[in-house]
Order: sequence, then structure tokens, then C-alpha cells
Amino acid sequence: MVADSNDVVLECRGLGHSFGKKKVLNDINLSIGRGQIVALVGPSGSGKSTLLRAILGTHPAKQGETLMDGKPYREPSRDRGIVYQKYSLFSFLTCEQNVAFGLKLDATSAHYRFFQFWKWRELRKQHLAAARELLEDVGLGEVENQYPEELSGGMRQRVAIAQALIMRPKLLLLDEPFGALDEATREELQLMLLNLYAENQAARRAGQTPPYTILIVTHELNEAIYVSDRVLGLSQYHQDGKEGATIVYDKAAPVYEPHSPKDVNAFVSQREELLRAVFSNQYIQHHSEYVTFWRDHGLKPAALN
Amino acid sequence: MLRKPISRRARFGLGTASVVLMLLAYTWLSQHRQSTVRREQQEVAVMKVAELKAIENRTERQQEELDKWVTLSKSPDAVDRTVPTWSVLYHEGWVRATSEQGSFKRKEVWLINDFAATAKRLVVGLIVGILCSVVIGLLMGCFDTIDAFMLPPFTLLAKIPTTAVLPIFFVLVQINFKMYIAMILAGMIPTLAQAISASVRKDVPEELIYKAYTLGASRFELIYEVIFKQVLPRLLDAARLQIGPALVLLVAAEWMVAGEGIGYRLRLFYQRTDMTVVFVYVILLGVIGLVVDYALIWLRRWVCPWFGE
Repeated sequence: MVADSNDVVLECRGLGHSFGKKKVLNDINLSIGRGQIVALVGPSGSGKSTLLRAILGTHPAKQGETLMDGKPYREPSRDRGIVYQKYSLFSFLTCEQNVAFGLKLDATSAHYRFFQFWKWRELRKQHLAAARELLEDVGLGEVENQYPEELSGGMRQRVAIAQALIMRPKLLLLDEPFGALDEATREELQLMLLNLYAENQAARRAGQTPPYTILIVTHELNEAIYVSDRVLGLSQYHQDGKEGATIVYDKAAPVYEPHSPKDVNAFVSQREELLRAVFSNQYIQHHSEYVTFWRDHGLKPAALN
Repeated sequence: MLRKPISRRARFGLGTASVVLMLLAYTWLSQHRQSTVRREQQEVAVMKVAELKAIENRTERQQEELDKWVTLSKSPDAVDRTVPTWSVLYHEGWVRATSEQGSFKRKEVWLINDFAATAKRLVVGLIVGILCSVVIGLLMGCFDTIDAFMLPPFTLLAKIPTTAVLPIFFVLVQINFKMYIAMILAGMIPTLAQAISASVRKDVPEELIYKAYTLGASRFELIYEVIFKQVLPRLLDAARLQIGPALVLLVAAEWMVAGEGIGYRLRLFYQRTDMTVVFVYVILLGVIGLVVDYALIWLRRWVCPWFGE
């Protein structure tokens, strides 16, 4: 399933962060392999968002370093896409323009757009066509000329995901992306993520590099187990918890392509394990007890050496 | 019930009624003034006639005067110009304002001359003022250093009533076209730049900025393509609201020192307590203000269709 995991995209080495005297993150070591769809769960206040922002690069951690493809970074860049729960779209652009916005900013400069206006117009047409195609792929062909304000929350998040995906980011970060949605819409969008997983699998079967690497932060345990092939638990409930939260759970999750049958038993037992290991303040264990993902797969990514 | 909705027809009817009522009130007031003035004139005429008739041997001049007063006592012709009637308003106000006046050497149509002079000052002042405010406001909203540097003087300047600063301008700057522009800038930039900077801070959530970075935006692109476009509708509204204060300032300054322009003409007629041309100017100012306001609202809807009504 994750045999190609040794190809590490993102690495966090000894990340630590504090707000004033309050220690939030403590010695986080994490490697994410290309093509993994990773869910990050944790009790509220455990610093999930802080970790995500450090990985995104907008708020670098005070200690430790983050590396992408082996290169350290401390700023956001086009290699890491993000979908937030709120404010995920530019309200002054139509859906189509929103999706094409990244292509515009990334592929051209303001100088080019001004002084080579006619060439830019030609290029713009290609960008918009690519955006329309992607919107149709996520089932939003008919709303391309509407403004985000006119869409439902679920549609907006779809557009936001398309907007991030069109950049082909090395890592796509989703920050509680479906938190504000109703149950039915949430399931539709989870299915959309499973489709991305299916594309990854298809690429693996064809011997190619899987196209999507995703880190999704969620407070919904079910969602985490359902959409990801690897679950991370970030928690302050471990032997060194006063120093801040760290990764206390890291295991593969049973994930299935959209329409294949699912093993509910495996699902339930992992859920119970997670509840105990990550969310329970009664059950304090050594933080490495459930951090077995790489060992389970007989691999040793650079970060763990 | 509070805020109970009414039909469109009722709304239109009430609106029309209020305007008609206003016009009727003016008509009544002007007629009342006119008849009062004439009655007073008649009373004086009657007195004069009695006085003159008492003289036994009237000189030729006294006889002429008597004839004049007799005519006036029968049909007084005084015209009230403080609240002129509609016909006076038209003949002495509108016609005088829109036909050539003055000696053969310097003939001018007041209305066109005055409005053109004021409009030129106002438009140039507004354009320069808005451009400066947008640049300063965006920079203040984007960079804390610039904000920290500009905010204290702006906060202070914005609190000073701009008309109170007029004497300083008259003394420090020569009274010419540039002075009016400088004045409008001084009145406008502190308020408008602050409004724009506040909008940048309030209406552009950080998430959008981070997102733009992940989409490959440079710093300039971030300011122009994201922040500017996001605050544009608020900016247009804020600029629209600055036109009124700028015009107040301009008319006040013209009233004091100008040789042409709306304020200048209003002062001339005020000195003669002749409201005919004044009323014509005032009504026209109201109409133009209304048109410009709606034009700018329409512009905002056209430029920023996403912003809604």
C-alpha cells in the first residue's frame, strides 16, 4: 500500500513551539512519504493548527526545522498548498478565476502581464480552460462563472481544493476542511478525497509516482480513519506532556478505494485504539508506543536515523 | 409592528407626497413673503401720499413723486428676494445665471463659469487625493512600520475641522489653484487613508494572504492582486463619502477668497440679501450631488459585482 514511502517529501526535525510560557509542541519528528494521505488528529488545544502552520511555513516553529525534499524552509511557497476551513476563496474572483489564480501568479509576473499583454491574453485562455476542466472533474462544471458568495459551503470547499490542486503542490495541507459542513456534504467531500487516493493507487499499479500527498488536520476521528492511509495522533497525554504535545500515534489506516467493500471491524478497533492512545488523559504511555508506522513497513526514513 | 414592510406603491406614494409637500410649503412661504412685502410697501405709499398731498404748493418734483406713490399705493410692485416666488426664481435667478452677464469686455455665463471653476478644483483635488490616500492607506494596512509612523499625525489631523485650517492655507500658500488642491488633500488624506488601512486590516483575513503565498504570489502581486482588489468596493465607498466634505471645504474657501466659483457667487448675492441666484445654485448642487452619488454607487456595482448591493 505504501511501499514507496521511503521517498520522503516532508520532514520535521525536532519541532518545538511555545506561546510565551505555554509550551505547545515538543520535539516533533515526522516524515511524510510521497503519495501518502495522512490524517492528523488530536485533542483540542494539542497544537494541531500550530503544527500545520509550521509545516505550511507561515509561522515557523521556534525550535527544529522543516524540510521539503531535503531542503530546509521557513516560508510558505507554491510547493505546499492549503485549504482552510473558512476564507478559503478569493471573493472577488469567479470560481473559474479562483482556480486559475494560482496559475496566473505562479506562471507569470505582473511585469509580463503588463508589457506582454497579448501573449498574456493567450496564456490566460489556456489557464481558464485548465481551470474549467478541473472544476468539471470535481463536479462543478456549471458554477464556473459564479462568485464564491453564491455557492454553498460544500461547493466552496471543492473549488478551494481544485484551486490548490491545480498547482500540483508537493504537499497539500487541509486544515479542518469540512468542519463547517453538514454530514451529507461532508461525506461527498470525503469521497472526493478517496478518489484522489484511488488515483494514487492507479499510479502505483502503473509503476508511476503517486500524484497526491496530503496532510489533513481534523477533529473527526471517523473522518481521519476513513479518508487516510496513515493516521497521526498529536497529544499532550504522554510521559513528557508538560513540555508540550508530540506525536503519540502513527500507524497505517485501512483505506479503501471509493466503491470497494470496507472492513468495519478494523475501523472500529483502530478508532478505540486512537481514543485511548491520543484522547484519553487517563492513559499515559511512552510517546513512542504507538509510533510504529515506518517500523511496520520495514522502512527507515532519513528522519528516524 | 416595527419594520412592517409596505408595498412598493405605498413607498412611492409617500416619497412623492413628501416632495410635493416640500414644494407646496415653499410656494406658500414665498407667496406669503411676497404679499407681506407688498403690503408693507403699500402702507408706506399711503403714508407718503398723505404727506405729499398735505403740501399746498408742490414743486414739479414733488408732484412726480406723488404720482409715483399714488400708483404704488394702488398696485405695489415690491419683489421679495429672500424667499423668491417661483416666477422670480426663474426670471431673476435661472435666467440671470444662464445668460451672458457683465460688460461688453468681459461677458460670462455665471452658472457655467462658476460651476466649471469649482468642478475643476474639486475633480483635480479628488483625483490626486484619492490616489495618494490609496497608496498611503494600502501601505499603512500592509506594513506596520509605515502604519506606526503615519498613524499619530493622521489621527490628530483627522480630528481638526478642516475649515478651521483655512486661514493657515491662505497665509502659507498663495491663493491660487494649487492652494485649493492642497486644501482638499489636507482635508481628505488623513481620513481616507485611515479608512483604507482599516479596511485592509479588517477585510483581508490572514488566511487569504497565506493562501496567495502558497499560490506563488510575489509581494507586489499580493498587494495589488489580492489586497487592493479585496478592499476595492470599500475603497470606492469611502472615497464617495469624502466628496461631500471636500465640497464643503472648497465652497467655504471660495466664499472667503475666490474671484470665481460657486462660493464666490453665493457670497456676492448673500451681500445683497438676494437669494434668487443662491437658490438656483443650491438646488443645482443638490441635483448634481445626487447624480454623482448614484453614478459612483453604480460604478461600484459594475466594478465589483461580487460585493452585492
